[in-house]
Amino acid sequence: MTTNLKGMLTHIEPPKPNPQAGRRWAFVIEPDRCIDCEACMVACSVENQVPVGHHRNWIAHREKGKFPYLSLHFEPENCHHCSNPPCEMVCPTGATFRREDGLVLINYDDCIGCRYCMMACPYDARYFDEDRGVVDKCTFCVHRLDAGQPPACVETCIGGARHFGDINDPESEVAKLLARHEVYVRYAEAGTGPAIFYIMD
Amino acid sequence: MSSTPHPEISAQSSPDSAWPYITRRRFLGVMGGAATALIFSQKPDIPLLTSEMAPAYEGHRPPTQYEVVHTLCEQCVWRCGVRAKVKDGRVFKLDGNPHHPHAKGKLCPRGQAGIATLYDPDRLQYPLIRAGERGGGKWKRVSWEDALDYVASRMLEIKEKYGPEAMIFSTTHNLIQTQFENLLKAYGSPNYGTQRSLCFNAMILSNLMTYGLEEPGRDYSSAQYIILTGRNLMEAISNSETQDLVAAIARGAKVVMLDPRFTKTAAKASEWLPIKPGTDLAFHLALIHEIIENEMYDEEFVQNYTVGFDELKSAVSGYTPEWAASKCEIPADAIRRIAREFALAAPHAFAHPNWRTSNFLNSFQTERAIAILNALVGNWNQPGGLVGGGGGEGEGLGTIPQPPYPRVSALRLDGVPWKYPLVPFKLGVFQELRDNILRGDPYQAKGWFIYRQNPLNSLPERRKTIEAFSKLEFIVTIDISMNDTAWFSDVVLPEATYLERYDPLAVVGDSVFIRQPVVAPMYESKPGLWIFKELGERLGLGDYFQYQDEEDYLRKQLEPLGVTLEELKELGHFPMPRGESAAGEEETPALSWNTPSGKVELASEVLRNSEFPPTPIWEEPPAAPADQFYLLTGKVAQHTQFATQNNWLLHERVPDNPLWIHPDPARDRGIESGDEVWVESPGGRVKTVALVTERIRPDCVYMTPGFGKVSKGMSLAYRAGVSDSDLHLSFIDEISGSQALSQTTVTVTKA
Ligand code: SF4
Ligand code: SF4
Ligand code: SF4
Repeated sequence: MTTNLKGMLTHIEPPKPNPQAGRRWAFVIEPDRCIDCEACMVACSVENQVPVGHHRNWIAHREKGKFPYLSLHFEPENCHHCSNPPCEMVCPTGATFRREDGLVLINYDDCIGCRYCMMACPYDARYFDEDRGVVDKCTFCVHRLDAGQPPACVETCIGGARHFGDINDPESEVAKLLARHEVYVRYAEAGTGPAIFYIMD
Repeated sequence: MSSTPHPEISAQSSPDSAWPYITRRRFLGVMGGAATALIFSQKPDIPLLTSEMAPAYEGHRPPTQYEVVHTLCEQCVWRCGVRAKVKDGRVFKLDGNPHHPHAKGKLCPRGQAGIATLYDPDRLQYPLIRAGERGGGKWKRVSWEDALDYVASRMLEIKEKYGPEAMIFSTTHNLIQTQFENLLKAYGSPNYGTQRSLCFNAMILSNLMTYGLEEPGRDYSSAQYIILTGRNLMEAISNSETQDLVAAIARGAKVVMLDPRFTKTAAKASEWLPIKPGTDLAFHLALIHEIIENEMYDEEFVQNYTVGFDELKSAVSGYTPEWAASKCEIPADAIRRIAREFALAAPHAFAHPNWRTSNFLNSFQTERAIAILNALVGNWNQPGGLVGGGGGEGEGLGTIPQPPYPRVSALRLDGVPWKYPLVPFKLGVFQELRDNILRGDPYQAKGWFIYRQNPLNSLPERRKTIEAFSKLEFIVTIDISMNDTAWFSDVVLPEATYLERYDPLAVVGDSVFIRQPVVAPMYESKPGLWIFKELGERLGLGDYFQYQDEEDYLRKQLEPLGVTLEELKELGHFPMPRGESAAGEEETPALSWNTPSGKVELASEVLRNSEFPPTPIWEEPPAAPADQFYLLTGKVAQHTQFATQNNWLLHERVPDNPLWIHPDPARDRGIESGDEVWVESPGGRVKTVALVTERIRPDCVYMTPGFGKVSKGMSLAYRAGVSDSDLHLSFIDEISGSQALSQTTVTVTKA
């Protein structure tokens, strides 16, 4: 049985750091370290004032086998801040945009709440905020990055499963992790160029 | 398509918007507005949620300019260091304090959800005195002055008429426990109820009998082999220890997990053994047998530092892996292999002493076997083994002068020590206490003073607890929320939450940490230190509370330390002065134990003298009758015992507690996931929802505790899920006083 799993992980060649290309923020996740405690989800809800009933990050479960031969894996996820974001392509007003450092963000003043982006996102990363009449999603905690702090979910990750940084900086923790491990991404075939990399050996 | 330039997202952020991030409209709309309205219509004198508490939602960007206040979490008992971010008198985020050894810069989901405890619209706001019948939900709002006068007069009346022993005091592990104990001792009652017999009595007593200390620590940093006997660290989170276990696994440590359920810890372990409930003892006895039989123990350690080896050896001679396999349904070969692997990995190996060990009447023997298993492989104070030592909680801090306590001659209602000779006073036997209120034996209790505790949820057989309440003339509860126990009380006093108050200081490792108000107490809530002093004075016990206020109390504690309160508030923590052995000297852990023999006791004279088996022996647990299931309980990561079910952030994650059942018995009963089912024990029956899962043995069912609130003062938690206290029977281990929480069996039928 699998639950809330949005596409399988596919093995890829890890991206090489490219310092000339400027900063590329990304997540590197070690699913083996995730204990499904959901501290990241609560932290995100509080940090980003996410309305009750919605969330910007989640833990996909992969459960297999029959008693007593069982396995259960957790795959933390949030917006993948894609390199070719389909959400941006379908947005009729340009409210969704991609920054040079890879962040895919929303200009809420321009969002008309048409929700095309919600349908376009293969990861189901977006939700409609009824109170504000706009679509919203994970921002990689851009306000915390501006203040020099890691995203809230990364900071509090009890299992130490979530890592964050600039994969174009060869000295960063994330670049080093990518260099040392087998690397997977969700829905590689969709051509979205996701910036959440899962590492496993 | 318009293309607006977006140089930096922060440039277009809305103005700073602090707490809260949900509107009242959404809160009521999404999460049971009807229930909320109902309660408040029953408490007409309590004003509704005010708009100043939940102003309209204006934006979504947290402030960029704010104040950071250091304090300590109290969403569970682990007390992680917190950095609270505050803007305009409101907390908008709690982060873990990297300097606190229990937090290491992280907070668990409960800690992260602390603001929803602080800003819970259901919080108690004013002192209340019951206006109708008990549990009827009618209250009169009174001033603190009147409430305290009233509580004191009832307590004095009970003392005069029936003696101080007629008043019971109970609380759960917390930082202000010393002052709570101060109140009860000064008042002169021997009757002190804690949660411990429902939790870790078996573990503590077994360690006292073996090592002369309550709970040895664990060194995960270089452990190569770890045996967990139901210690579900990934879900029953002890923040730093959970982090340590994950790190140990990532490093390649082998973890063997015994549990009838495939918990999240089992999922992370190298090996999961779905052991038959109640038979962990057989498994550990066989490990001891194997290690002795094959001479895999640490001979030097056993010879020099233990007593009773020969007696142990002959006592376990029959406990072969084959014998154990017939009991615990784990193959003999696996037991043999694990014994060998464990002994080979030692001393960088430990069998975890566990925590909540109130499982079966044989749990004390199980815990003794685990303690002895560790001793045999000589892992004491070895890298990757058990860690001894560590000082008391308040050691090295200044104290407040007070007169000696009055002599107490009355028997304790919980049977300590007259019925339970070995149970330490501060642990007690809570179930027995409740039963003796009911029986009026050896005398009739008349009053109950309950502080930060919820016996109506935690004790087995809720029906009995409610009945016991009916024997009492006076019940006062001090808490932050109208929990089930408060709901059935006569007086309810609102305490300030951990984010609004000082508590006595906490020493962790080599530093002292402070819990301090992050924001001012909301409504009329007051800190415990204030409440106890005010009450003490009204009871004529003012001499026991010689501090002006909370800050004065902390200043007196800080006197020997050379740091001012103001400095500590700023820093959050401060190094404790080091003892004689300081500076440069190599610290060699002493190999001596606080036992009668001064050694590790494999056979215990204390146990023998009390006519208990001096070495661990097999005690057969009762078998579940055909067609019945062992009822298992255990935590989820998102809730703390009975306290957090009404926290909206945690309720959102885990709103109720479905009953886990294996597909085979479910199929036999025509049950599918989501179906309503009746669960019944001789104690009662509840209707709940089934979750059919492979992750549990076919002879067990499971639910997480803490749900099924009957108090209408908790709008989210009221009647969400069911309470195991309606099903559990009371069983008391005569050695440790421990409750046997997994010994109740139940039937399950489709509703
Ligand atoms: S994950 Fe979805 S929302 Fe995020 S950038 Fe990709 S397509 Fe857009
Ligand atoms: S906080 Fe970390 S360990 Fe916990 S669920 Fe999130 S990703 Fe997993
Ligand atoms: S473990 Fe969680 S709830 Fe307990 S003190 Fe730490 S952060 Fe708070």
